Amino acid sequence: MGIIGEWIRRLGYLLRRGAREEELRREMEAHRAMLQEPRAFGNTLRLREEARDAWGWGWLDDLARDTRLAWRTLRRSPAFALTAIVTLALGIGATGAIFTLVRSVLLRPLPFPDPDALYVISYASPGPAWLYPGMSDRGYLDFRGANRTLESVATFSAAESTMTGAGNATRVSGAAVTTDFFRVLGVDAAIGRTFGPEDDQSGDGRVVLIADGLWRRHFGADPLFVNKTVVLNGVPHRVVGVLPPGFSYPADAAYWIPLTVRINPNLGFMRPVIGRVKAGVTGEQAAADLDVWVRSLPLDPNRPRDLVAQVTPLHEAMVRDVRLPVLVFGSAVVLVLVIVCANVMHLLLMRAVSRRQEIATRLALGGSRVRVVRQFLAEGALLSLAGGSVGAGVAFLGGPALLSLIPPGRLPVDIAVRADGWVLAFTAGLSVCTALVVGLAPIVQISGDSPYVALRGGTASATRQSHRLRHALVISELALTLVLLVGAGLLVRSVIGLRSVPLGFTPGRVMTMTIDLPVTRYPKAEQATTLHSRLLQSLSASPGVLSVAAVNWLPLGDMVSWGDVQAEDRPDLAGKYNATKVAVSPDYFRTIGIRLLRGRPFTEADLPGRPPVAIVSESVARRLWPGVDPSGRRMALVDRPKPEDWLTVVGVVEDVRQGGFRSAPTHAVYQPYVQVTNRYFVGYMTFLVRTHGDPLQVAPTMRTALARIDEDEAPRSLATLETVVDRTVAEPQFHARVLTLFSLVALLLAAIGIYGVLASAVLERRSEIGVRMALGADRTSVIRMILSHTLRLTAIGITIGLAGSLAAADAIASLLFGVTPTDTATFVIAVGVLLGAAVVAAVVPARRAARLDPITVLRAE
Amino acid sequence: MPRDAGLPPGTLMMLVLRVLTTQPLHGYAIAQRLHQLSREELSVEEGSLYPALQKLLVKGWVRAAWRESESGRQVREYRITASGRRQLDAEMAEYRRTASAIGWLLDEA
Repeated sequence: MGIIGEWIRRLGYLLRRGAREEELRREMEAHRAMLQEPRAFGNTLRLREEARDAWGWGWLDDLARDTRLAWRTLRRSPAFALTAIVTLALGIGATGAIFTLVRSVLLRPLPFPDPDALYVISYASPGPAWLYPGMSDRGYLDFRGANRTLESVATFSAAESTMTGAGNATRVSGAAVTTDFFRVLGVDAAIGRTFGPEDDQSGDGRVVLIADGLWRRHFGADPLFVNKTVVLNGVPHRVVGVLPPGFSYPADAAYWIPLTVRINPNLGFMRPVIGRVKAGVTGEQAAADLDVWVRSLPLDPNRPRDLVAQVTPLHEAMVRDVRLPVLVFGSAVVLVLVIVCANVMHLLLMRAVSRRQEIATRLALGGSRVRVVRQFLAEGALLSLAGGSVGAGVAFLGGPALLSLIPPGRLPVDIAVRADGWVLAFTAGLSVCTALVVGLAPIVQISGDSPYVALRGGTASATRQSHRLRHALVISELALTLVLLVGAGLLVRSVIGLRSVPLGFTPGRVMTMTIDLPVTRYPKAEQATTLHSRLLQSLSASPGVLSVAAVNWLPLGDMVSWGDVQAEDRPDLAGKYNATKVAVSPDYFRTIGIRLLRGRPFTEADLPGRPPVAIVSESVARRLWPGVDPSGRRMALVDRPKPEDWLTVVGVVEDVRQGGFRSAPTHAVYQPYVQVTNRYFVGYMTFLVRTHGDPLQVAPTMRTALARIDEDEAPRSLATLETVVDRTVAEPQFHARVLTLFSLVALLLAAIGIYGVLASAVLERRSEIGVRMALGADRTSVIRMILSHTLRLTAIGITIGLAGSLAAADAIASLLFGVTPTDTATFVIAVGVLLGAAVVAAVVPARRAARLDPITVLRAE
Repeated sequence: MPRDAGLPPGTLMMLVLRVLTTQPLHGYAIAQRLHQLSREELSVEEGSLYPALQKLLVKGWVRAAWRESESGRQVREYRITASGRRQLDAEMAEYRRTASAIGWLLDEA
């Protein structure tokens, strides 16, 4: 009680200081009046100050005084203050923005109750993690019954549908989920209910859950939405509930339909499995349980024998792809911040040198060193707080802006990037740290300086410690900049490497539209191909169109399919050779620009019922018929071909990279789509239109052409072929851009740092230079002296930086393409750029030194 | 007369509390009383008295109020509080213990 009461009273004194001081003054006046000799009463002002100290707020007064003084000093040199503040704001802002990203992606828990209990469960052969960990249907059903550590388990597969009945037909993403899905995640419906066991076995499964966003956008947030009907792929579904705002998992799902997992001996799926562990069970225990089960599986010739259990926290599984880039950005921005601090420290240090005489005078007149130190700290604090406030603004705007630069589809969508209190606290903490670091720098200058020497020495000169510190600062700036330059250089070279991979086709002036016909409305291959033919006909009649074509697996698209291929005269390779099977329209090769190397392209005469034909890619021809013309040879794309399954090869085309830049040229066998009888190969189709002018102008034409043929279908995507190509390098390009930006900022700061060191060195060595020149040194030798100073510093910086660069390059190795982490050219270029910047920064001070007039300098001494 | 005897700050606070136990006093009167009661051995400077009084106020051991003195002057009068009395008792006990210990030591050694 006592201590609390005391603090409350103290606070009262602080809040009503004016009144309290007035009271003290009146009291002392009264006292003085009562004395016989009033003069004996001391200086009332001083007495009052002493009495006031008892309230315990002296430090606050000191702080205010220091701050006021610092403010006034800074206002007198606005250029210095502005430079320091802008530099700090950039550093703190960039760090805050990246922290926003780190926090949103890696640190913030998933928006589900008790998210740490959620795991992705799979088994796989040992080795690198699978891109899409999952379990087979049989495995899922067995494990669901056998496991002892999980409270609930669910599986799902992503889906996409055309939604009709609410305005124009639209494509929406969704998911088919087992009925326990929402129980696992712990999410309940905002309106209506989520799935229950009755939705699973009751047969038709024609119920649907709708995401909040879709409900608002397309159904006007209808409060009586439950039990209404939504048509997906032509099938009416009864709405049972609407999920709460912000919920979308997996990825950007906007609707959910029930999934019933049944064992189908002919068709097996691998699906992701998620589970919630029982209270008190750890991920390791769940993994051990899964492992026991995996080992108990009966031997199956179709399954690898060395399967191991993989139990990954859901959050980790969701951010796995973005984890490394985000960490790389984080490290890079910390390097930039260190450079920023070094630069501002350096600025303050130079100021301390130029104020050396002022400080020496204060010390000589009995000013306390502590006060001087406090004042420098106050200046550092003011600068950092100003920089930090601006920086917080930069962070709040920059974080989300950074997100918008991230190529779509790379972040788990339900992880929204936004700045929050943590980001604010982080930037505030950062400002305080920089204030301390930056403010401490000048103290090195004052300590060890004797006022006597400072007052006698006419020119501003720095102490030995401050020299050493300044050199260390510049050297570390150079070293860190080299690390950033090398990192950025390697990423840029990767992008250039990706870009220079021969595509095998010419993407300019081609518009693409992809459709995905639902099996519910187009159950047979002929129904799909009829639509394709009508669409091609309609498109080719449109104005401005040079040629039109269709292909099921567009190169660099998101779909690809592989299967067994056998040649009639190569029985030795039967069952041992895989290729992708592409269905195309006759004009495909001409439209996309794939060169025909031999034989003929497909023609309108290659109809169903006519002899089935195929065109093979160069790589297939080389593999199956090395050194021979494959024309006229026969091949089959199915396991046990019947007589009508044999295709006659009519031509050879150039290789194309179906799977993306990183993959090898794809072995491909092309077929006319009208001759394809398996519906799976023709339900999904991309239409290409090569145009005279801007390909985007035909986009509306393509959309209406589809709507005229089937108004209940909508394009899955519409994009120029160039966009499709760009998308595949978007991510490395984004990494390279961010790192390049950081390294350029670092380079600029390092150059400013070098300039500062040399400029002050020239100032300090003015008399030395003057003497040298008076003794006959010419301008060239003065310039050489300054440059060799620069090169000495740079050489040390580069040596240290190279070691750091090697480590950093190794850390980002998995982000690189077509370039090794120790790529000599990149290192040479980075070192060259840094040297160049150092020399450029040295030119101005060197010329200034060379232009010194020895007479003026020596007279000033 | 000798000015300030260089009392330790804590001791001065204890002495002020002691003179206030008999009656409420203003600053000048406190200085007077300290001087008289110490048989003119001690004299407190204003520079020490007022910080000590402020400290006592902050600690809550005394309370102050403005009042008109007999001479018609506005004076600020200090009055000891209950917690002030407890503090004084504790400090006096402590002082006596230390003083007698020092006394024994000086006599015996």
